[in-house]
Amino acid sequence: MKKWLLVSISLLLMFAAVGCSKSESVNSDGKKTITMWVHISDENEEGKVYKKRVEAFNKNYAPDNIKAKIEFIPRSGNGGGYEDKVNAALTTSTLPDVITLDGPNTAAYAKSGVIAPLDEYVKDQEDLLPSIKQQGTYKDKLYAIGVSESSVGIYYNKRMLQEAGVDLNTLPTVDNPWTWDQFLALCKTLKDKYDKPAIDMQLQSKDEMLTYALTPFVWSADGDIISKDGKKAEGVFNKKPTVEALTFIQTMLKEGYTTRTPVKQAFETEKYPMKFSGVWTVTDMKTNYQKVDYGVIPYPVSPKTKKLVSPSGSWQFAMTQTSENKEWAAKLVDWMTNKDSNVELSRTIAALPVRYSSEKVMAKEFSDQMNVFLKQLKETGHARPVTPAYPQVTRAFQQTIDDISFYDQNKDIQKVLDTHAKEMQSAIDKAN
Amino acid sequence: MSKIGWKENRSVYTFLRPEERTKNKTRWKENVVAYTFLGPALLLLSMFLVIPSIMSVYYSFTDYYLLTPDMRKFVGLDNFINLFQDPIFLKSLVNTLEFVVWVIPLQIGAALGLALLLNKQRKANTFFKVAYFSPVVMSLVVISVLWLYLLNPNEGIINNVLTYFGISAQPFLTSPKQAIFTIVVVSAWQGAGFQMLIFLAGLQNIPGDVYEAAQLDGINKWQRFMYITLPLLKPTSIFIFITTLIGAFKLLVQPMVMTQGGPVNSTMTVVYYIYQTGFTDRMVGYASSIALLFGTIIGLVTITQRKLVKEDED
Repeated sequence: MKKWLLVSISLLLMFAAVGCSKSESVNSDGKKTITMWVHISDENEEGKVYKKRVEAFNKNYAPDNIKAKIEFIPRSGNGGGYEDKVNAALTTSTLPDVITLDGPNTAAYAKSGVIAPLDEYVKDQEDLLPSIKQQGTYKDKLYAIGVSESSVGIYYNKRMLQEAGVDLNTLPTVDNPWTWDQFLALCKTLKDKYDKPAIDMQLQSKDEMLTYALTPFVWSADGDIISKDGKKAEGVFNKKPTVEALTFIQTMLKEGYTTRTPVKQAFETEKYPMKFSGVWTVTDMKTNYQKVDYGVIPYPVSPKTKKLVSPSGSWQFAMTQTSENKEWAAKLVDWMTNKDSNVELSRTIAALPVRYSSEKVMAKEFSDQMNVFLKQLKETGHARPVTPAYPQVTRAFQQTIDDISFYDQNKDIQKVLDTHAKEMQSAIDKAN
Repeated sequence: MSKIGWKENRSVYTFLRPEERTKNKTRWKENVVAYTFLGPALLLLSMFLVIPSIMSVYYSFTDYYLLTPDMRKFVGLDNFINLFQDPIFLKSLVNTLEFVVWVIPLQIGAALGLALLLNKQRKANTFFKVAYFSPVVMSLVVISVLWLYLLNPNEGIINNVLTYFGISAQPFLTSPKQAIFTIVVVSAWQGAGFQMLIFLAGLQNIPGDVYEAAQLDGINKWQRFMYITLPLLKPTSIFIFITTLIGAFKLLVQPMVMTQGGPVNSTMTVVYYIYQTGFTDRMVGYASSIALLFGTIIGLVTITQRKLVKEDED
């Protein structure tokens, strides 16, 4: 028995010893080192831009004896890998000075004291687009800044619409969007003509895409997922506006305008005339489906409010609470998201800009399709709910969509909403 | 490997135990040698199994949140009380049991059938053995993705074949009613090759003279299977039953890759839910309590099973 005790104690000591070792923040040559972790690979286009920008940072601040070091920790599909490493570093307190984090994680990281507010160090916040500020803000403090933005719109095949008798000049614009009813009418025309679903709305994706792309319909109807202060889901989510928005989505399914089981790449191979997708599809079309002549129209809006709302979101940079060089860590965050970094990244990976200053530059360089996304984002972009209980809130939302798409089993949308609002509420109560 | 009945195990045990009391000194020496050999394995076992298990038992009584490891505090039985009011957990428990109840007979039956088919000396049998065993060595993720293509409701080969024979196309994984059964079939297909090999080894250990004697008595094939093969395969079957059962309880990869627990939570399993609450929702304390409860359930099932088998043997 004693032997066992000895073995376990020595093992525990070993763990403790491992936990204590911490990387030094001052180098032997007297240079201060700022370490930064990013979630992508250095072989990827985005990673190459980051690497270049860090080199520029080091060159610029060489007289100050500062050296930034970037470490690439590629994440897997659902965020694993990178986030596992951050979580492990938390338990052993070996976090670097700067980390990247996904938009919806801001609240959880800020509340848990993983990341520190930037307001004291980053003064020029007026230049940031509202959606980026919204995403990085928790309890009125700016914690994180994104370096790229995203949006979703409706891609349409010009030839297929024309052949169905649609005059392309009458299609909606960001200044003059269509209501859900007008959009349903377009879908009917297309479905009657081609006898196939009119649009792939990606309702089969059982992931974050559902929350990201479909919440704007709720906002357009003047509803919300959780209250502005982040404390209430019951009495907010399960209200009439959400019912209206989901009724629209359910109608799309019921009438066969869209489907839960779309043919793969149906829009790209000209089988369906429309696709509801993110700005990244522009790159895909450009590289892989050059033959398709397509345009982009903004979100359809609630007939009651006529308010256009679009999604937004991206990974962001933030400094950690444990950083010993907060001033320089914040400077690095600022640098990685400044106009030059932003323009360079937007040019390389066709991402939307995050600043008014860089947006002006990019608007001239972007294609017509990209400019629809850009204008929609700038004027109507809305960040996802900021709450530490985000993982549960987004899952409850995704399950709501899943439930209502089996409309013969769930005729009563209100009942579905009540169930999931309750789930959200109990998660929020636990997290706050 | 082939004979893992409890009787054999017991006899080995009694053989190893010294009949007379040896002197303390030699015993001590033997112990040192024994522990030296055990050492590396024990070290790894304790690092990756024993210590984490003890830690997770402790965590299950705390409110450990992944991002604030230092702020965890003891909350008593709160996690367990919440657990029994958590509809998704209860649903995942039902789903897992449903999976186990369906997959066990299907997978073991398929394995036994294949083993009987391949038990004769034929040239082509080596090829079939490799063919049936190959899904076992493939990664579960690869297999899940492969089946995802085969089962695609629109373009999948399976629905194409079905419609060719005039059967209407099935939704498979996209239907809350069919999803879990689809996963049962895929899992049984993937796993059966392993049990097949063990059954084969068991079959080859049945002495030929028993069959010869029976043949003199003039029994038919069915009787031969029912009264000779099956009873003599019992030790092998017990081993297979227990290992397959424990494996089936741990279902995770297939729903994770193929359905993400959907549609409408119909393929959410307990282990997947542990992963989700622990790593996505960051509620490590809560996830640990699910793990502890689930471990206890599996333990109880296994113990009951062993008891039943022992009574039967005696």
